Amino acid sequence: MPGFPFPGRPGGEHDEPLLDMIIARRALPPDAPAVMHDLARMLAALAGPAEPGELTGEAAVRAAFRRAASPAGVSSTARRPVRRRRSRHARGSVRSRAWLATAMVAAVAGLGSVLAAYTDVLPSPIQQLAHVAVAAPAPPSISTQQPVMLGTGRRSASHKARPPSSPPALQPRRSPTTAPASDPTPTASRRPRRRPLPSSSPGHRTPGPACSAAPSGPMQCTGLTWQTVQPTPDPYVP
Amino acid sequence: MVGDRLRRGPGRADTRPVIGAAFSITLASAQGGDEIAFACLFRDVQPVLLRYLRVITPDAEDVAGDTWLQVVKGLPGFRGGEEAFRAWLFTIARHRAVDAGRSRSRRPDVPLAATEVLEQQTAPDAAEAALEAISTRWVVELIRSLPREHAEIIMLRVVAGLEAADVARIVGKTPGAVRVTAHRALRRLAELAERAGVTH
Repeated sequence: MPGFPFPGRPGGEHDEPLLDMIIARRALPPDAPAVMHDLARMLAALAGPAEPGELTGEAAVRAAFRRAASPAGVSSTARRPVRRRRSRHARGSVRSRAWLATAMVAAVAGLGSVLAAYTDVLPSPIQQLAHVAVAAPAPPSISTQQPVMLGTGRRSASHKARPPSSPPALQPRRSPTTAPASDPTPTASRRPRRRPLPSSSPGHRTPGPACSAAPSGPMQCTGLTWQTVQPTPDPYVP
Repeated sequence: MVGDRLRRGPGRADTRPVIGAAFSITLASAQGGDEIAFACLFRDVQPVLLRYLRVITPDAEDVAGDTWLQVVKGLPGFRGGEEAFRAWLFTIARHRAVDAGRSRSRRPDVPLAATEVLEQQTAPDAAEAALEAISTRWVVELIRSLPREHAEIIMLRVVAGLEAADVARIVGKTPGAVRVTAHRALRRLAELAERAGVTH
């Protein structure tokens, strides 16, 4: 009788490595107990190939597979290309619909922009661009009541569009006690004072705020004193 | 004796899978509708599946058929290697066995005893094959005599070759408990075999 340890006995765990080898289907060492070798053979036989009668259900299973893989009237080999064609067509139609939707959105946005330009609801710089691009009405010039800070690209809401003309250039002189209307960027305070943008030729308007100027005489505006100066070339517009 | 039959056939102790390294290709072909590839999968797993089901249910052939029907339905959506495929298939088999047990409880049936099965093998020209079949079936019956939990874990972990984690998932235990139970079950099986005169 080999010294085969029974479960639950103290010290019976020394066969665990051999049992792990049996579980892993590894070859046992030659000096392993004979009962271990027999156990391994028994279990290996159970994991062996099919015996007579164990594959009798194959025909029925294959028939079920054929039915599942081939719907009525379509062969199994023909089904795969149809599925691929359908998916490619589906993908193509989805892509074309996406492009069509994008084009429609872009067209609506463009039309809306043009309409907004013609109704003068856009900000001044954009309105100026629209004026150049699609001949929309020019942005309104500043009114006599509100100053315009050159170089900031901003204007007050009370500005109205002025017809293109060649008035004398105006240079606002800032009083020491008057703060600028707006300073959107930290570097604006370091910029030198800029001359207003003159209309050097009829119909020519450069981007940026424009000053309304009277043909003669000083202009009155809040916080600033205007004086008439000679026309100067277009200043640098950042 | 039966023990001699077991020791006579070392060639049958080939536990290499039928498909092996080509499993991925075979599976992909089967998923694409290739019947021959599917038949390879069937022949690779069916013997072990049937033996496992004979341990846990008396309706092994019927449950095996239901299992493969479920596999056919779910095959296109399956993703994984050979181990995952086996784990998936044996999970389905266990569920179908449980379902069969519930329906059987409503219509009781009398299963054949192991000795009656052995007596049916009477073809003299297939003596060798019959003896081989007897030996395998005898081992199955020996394992069936173990507690249900031990028998199932031996079949899944050792015979089917599933990983401890997969077995744990199937039977509802932790991998550590599966390992401990497998060791206990193997020791008990060796003891039974020794008492039956199979081993030295």
